[in-house]
Amino acid sequence: MSVLEKLGLDGKVAVVTGAGRGLGRAMALALAEAGANVVCAARSREQIEATAHQIRQLGRRSLAIPTDVTNPQQCTRLIDTTVEQMGRIDILVNNAGGATPGYDKPVEQITDEEWRLGIDTNLSSVFYCCRAAIPHMVRQGGGKIINVSSGYGLRGGRNNFIYCSAKAAVINFTRSLALTYAQHNIQANCIVPGFFPHENEAVIRYLRGGQFIPVGRVGKDEELGPACVLLASALADHMNGAIIILDGGGLAGGQAPTGLAPRIPLAEG
Amino acid sequence: MDVSLKGKVALVMGVENGVGRALAVAMAEAGADVACCATRPSLEVAAQSCANEVWALGRRSLGAAVTATEAHELEALVDKVMAELGGLHILVNAHDLPLALPLEETEPHYLRRVLADNVEAVYLAIRAASRPMLAQGYGRIINVVPLEAERGLANASAYCAAKAAVLNLTRALALEWARRGITVNALGCGWIEGEGLAQSPEAKAALERYLPYKRLAKPQEVVGPAVYLASEAAGFITGHVIWVDGGALSHI
Repeated sequence: MSVLEKLGLDGKVAVVTGAGRGLGRAMALALAEAGANVVCAARSREQIEATAHQIRQLGRRSLAIPTDVTNPQQCTRLIDTTVEQMGRIDILVNNAGGATPGYDKPVEQITDEEWRLGIDTNLSSVFYCCRAAIPHMVRQGGGKIINVSSGYGLRGGRNNFIYCSAKAAVINFTRSLALTYAQHNIQANCIVPGFFPHENEAVIRYLRGGQFIPVGRVGKDEELGPACVLLASALADHMNGAIIILDGGGLAGGQAPTGLAPRIPLAEG
Repeated sequence: MDVSLKGKVALVMGVENGVGRALAVAMAEAGADVACCATRPSLEVAAQSCANEVWALGRRSLGAAVTATEAHELEALVDKVMAELGGLHILVNAHDLPLALPLEETEPHYLRRVLADNVEAVYLAIRAASRPMLAQGYGRIINVVPLEAERGLANASAYCAAKAAVLNLTRALALEWARRGITVNALGCGWIEGEGLAQSPEAKAALERYLPYKRLAKPQEVVGPAVYLASEAAGFITGHVIWVDGGALSHI
């Protein structure tokens, strides 16, 4: 099989959480374009029905299953319904998450409820869906888990405690998955998106068109799709516990402001 | 999604290595025309054999062998690629000169050679290829690094220093060229049969017990993600390493 043929996902079944909009929708559509049948999950039925409709127009099967990923029973139901209706689960994309109330507060102002909701939304959700999916993948003889983390999972942020903590934990959760289930042919990897256009208003103001990003622009939703397909495909069978960072070079720097480019001539003698 | 490399020309340095050769073949399978270059003049046969494999896939190719630390030879190589294959869009640096000795047995000239062949040669290849890439405002540069670029290993101080240097020059050049259409990334390879320091006879058995997959990889298993990095689809990725190590770096 050539390298391009190995990217094909014909007959595979994927579950994408947070598939109602933005990056989740882009990844769900990319998986479908590559041949997968895709189950779309999120809280809003209307939004995931729209994604599922787009997937069906690509000629793939799709289900929209309204799911609150902070609820373990609903995560189990999502995976079990997928296996009942689609026959299997090959690919799990844990994408649901995001900023929750209190995400931008200093430590001393964060309430217990805010902390728990942020951790549940961004970290526990990954655990709940993996716990439900892994027994099926082990039984099937393999699978792919793709967890979406963040640049804030690799670096800190001022007044950013809940989200930074949860997203860093997602990366290390992924590494332990990689070590634990390698023998079952399950690969677990992370995608780290940088700044993309549908951030909240405060972030968009801060980005000012992406001029702080080395490449000078924010990402496009559709740029996330190929990375997701790669990780879901046989081309990445030897990738495990790894991170693909799509951030226009942001995390390659970080010791100085973007654009700083000093010139110092070689000393003579 | 389109990660096809049709219409692109790739130059792969280090095709005498298993990974370099597998990368050249993978780029060709993805549609690129590929110049296959060995990093010492005595390795011309290996380069021609790789070029023949690319031809057999229906792509245009050329084989070359240069002294990879000689800037003028690399300039001439780039000119030859431009003239014969009609462009240069992708540079893959798969140079590798392994060395594993205790520091007290690492003669000063061994260190200089390890740094020259693993770092200086990569820098000079990028320098030569950057001329057309900067002029056309488009390029994909992929530096191949082993685990020693990220983690230490006993008896490998010179090699570890050299490979870490390649990883950080990747980040620096990514920032330097971020707005000039050139991405610079690394393909991070795990332990591969017969490659790098895995050639050590005692290493293989110990690694087969230790690694999550309980085996070393074949070169063909680690090169796929490089095709993605080489494609237009990966334009928002720069300054990063994609590790294909079967989980080796996930260990404490």
